[in-house]
Amino acid sequence: MSTPVLSLHGVRKSFGPIEIIRGIELDVVPGERHAVIGPNGAGKSTLFHLISGQLTPTAGDILLDGLPIGGMAPHLVNRQGLARSFQITNIFPGLSVFENLRLAVMRRFGLDFVFWRRASRLKAVTHLADELLAQVRLEKRASVLASELSYSEQRSLEIGMTLASDPKVILLDEPMAGMSHEETEYTVGLIRDITRGRTLLIVEHDMDVVFSLSDRISVLVYGQIIATGTPAEIRGNLAVREAYLGEEAS
Amino acid sequence: MRTKVILLALAVAALVAAPAFLSPGLVNASIQMLIAALFASAFSLLCGQAGMLSFGHSAYFGIGAFATIHAMNAFNGAGLLPTPLLPLVGGLLGLVSGIAAGWFATKRTGVYFSMITLALAELLHALAPHLKEIFGGEAGVSAMRMPAWGFSFGSNVEVYYLTLGWVLLCLLLLYLYTLTPVGRLTLGLRENTHRLRFLGYNVHRLSVLVFAISAMFSGVAGGLQALNIEAANYVVLDMQLSASVVLNSYIGGVKVFLGPAIGAALMSFFGYAVSDLTRSWLLYQGVLFVLVMMFLPDGLVGEFAKRIREGRFGLGWERLSAGLLFAVALVLAIVGFVCMVELAQRFFSTDYRSMIVGTPWPPVTLFGREWLPFSPVTWGLPLGLMAVGLGLLNFASHRLDPERGGVS
Repeated sequence: MSTPVLSLHGVRKSFGPIEIIRGIELDVVPGERHAVIGPNGAGKSTLFHLISGQLTPTAGDILLDGLPIGGMAPHLVNRQGLARSFQITNIFPGLSVFENLRLAVMRRFGLDFVFWRRASRLKAVTHLADELLAQVRLEKRASVLASELSYSEQRSLEIGMTLASDPKVILLDEPMAGMSHEETEYTVGLIRDITRGRTLLIVEHDMDVVFSLSDRISVLVYGQIIATGTPAEIRGNLAVREAYLGEEAS
Repeated sequence: MRTKVILLALAVAALVAAPAFLSPGLVNASIQMLIAALFASAFSLLCGQAGMLSFGHSAYFGIGAFATIHAMNAFNGAGLLPTPLLPLVGGLLGLVSGIAAGWFATKRTGVYFSMITLALAELLHALAPHLKEIFGGEAGVSAMRMPAWGFSFGSNVEVYYLTLGWVLLCLLLLYLYTLTPVGRLTLGLRENTHRLRFLGYNVHRLSVLVFAISAMFSGVAGGLQALNIEAANYVVLDMQLSASVVLNSYIGGVKVFLGPAIGAALMSFFGYAVSDLTRSWLLYQGVLFVLVMMFLPDGLVGEFAKRIREGRFGLGWERLSAGLLFAVALVLAIVGFVCMVELAQRFFSTDYRSMIVGTPWPPVTLFGREWLPFSPVTWGLPLGLMAVGLGLLNFASHRLDPERGGVS
């Protein structure tokens, strides 16, 4: 196996006396689609918050490409090459779809405190934003306000925004939550397309999605990863069946 | 696009030509309107574009005013800082104080941000009377406008043109700002700071920057005010100015670029025109604000712009007549309401109480007519006018609203 691009060692997180994350070991290798599954309250969202910088781990190391990012501010984590989406859609509702992507793209060119250029004349930015627009299949909706998009379109837009910085690792937090069957199918196709050749870490509840999309799966139960393996290995793992899948089957 | 440019050119031409047609009093009022317009635009960069509602913007206006006054006294309008360039000092001090205050205030968002700005402004307001060296105590600080560049700056027409030049320049700069990358990010700040942070932007630094730029242009406005009245008093730091810039901006509409400027110009003209006529003008201002917020939440200019975008100005006899009815009804309701307020104001005034000697109570004069306190006509007429006006307004607005079965 190649060197992991994202690895967690002994990561712990407590809120007061309650320990939510209890010593996580996780390696994500370049180019894989890695899913984290687990029952409600297992700590999946907390885990994502720790990786993306929203929360600081109580103990342990988080390494992105060998560089420690545990406890780093979110915008700096992003600049190290890790982008994420959120469980609840997180976009700029009052701006156009194109503007949403443009703001996401500008950071990649280091354009934040620039007074002396017109945003509309930044050719590279416009070009890249248009490209992303096509990748998430929203070309026809470019000038629509993001708030007027359908739910699944908004999710697509957010996925497009996470791609904008050309990150080493993409975190998607339940991208299919609340979607209809058709929407889910559509979004799975989209994620499969755009993550080709990229590294993805995803939290998802829909088991069909998880087993068809991911190369490897980690099972998180009560703040610990009890198993990591290919979909087939996870399906055959007794401990997992008992702790999680078994409950669903019964 | 082309119509916009033509309209703007016409507006600028009108502003340039205005002093030729205005009385000195009105020229003075126009200067106030221009300054209020710039101040509101500066405020709305922060409030409308970045979504941070500051309740303490009088502080930066005031700092700009005092900085300019002291610079006037120090340089005597000559040397490095001739009179026309003095507002630069206001802008500079506004910028510096904006960076300092903004650094603290933008650590928090929402209500907490507003409270910090309010607290900082009140702190300065409370401190000012004790710092006589800087703020001149009760009397304030005064200075003289000196001639420069071949202008005497003695007449208020010359001051008008100086103010106009500065205001137009600043508005242009503020507009160009909205087109730059940092200007686009400012909108992101309003829409979703959380997302911005996870896109890799340093949200705090960006907020401080926007705050400081807003304070800088507020400082220029304060400097122009100081130049105009050749004085500055710590009263300028009062909460009232902070409040009125909020109201003015919202009446115009904070989400369209010229909305706050037009709102502020209209409201300061309203103040100028009405404050001489009645003592209740602050009440009218308040009522106007409440009505605009209730029925035109995007503000006067915002609503206008929205209707143009949606093409809701279709002309036709039916629509025109409904519009006319609406206007008449509005006038009726306003006349009724003003009558009510003015009568009440007179009957409840201390002057009236001193006029009462036994019974019957004497009448008051309003609009060249005598009104008795207990006559049904006195209260029935204004109330009736208001009722008829409001009824017609309701009818006309139904006819004007295509969504409720009216003509489109």
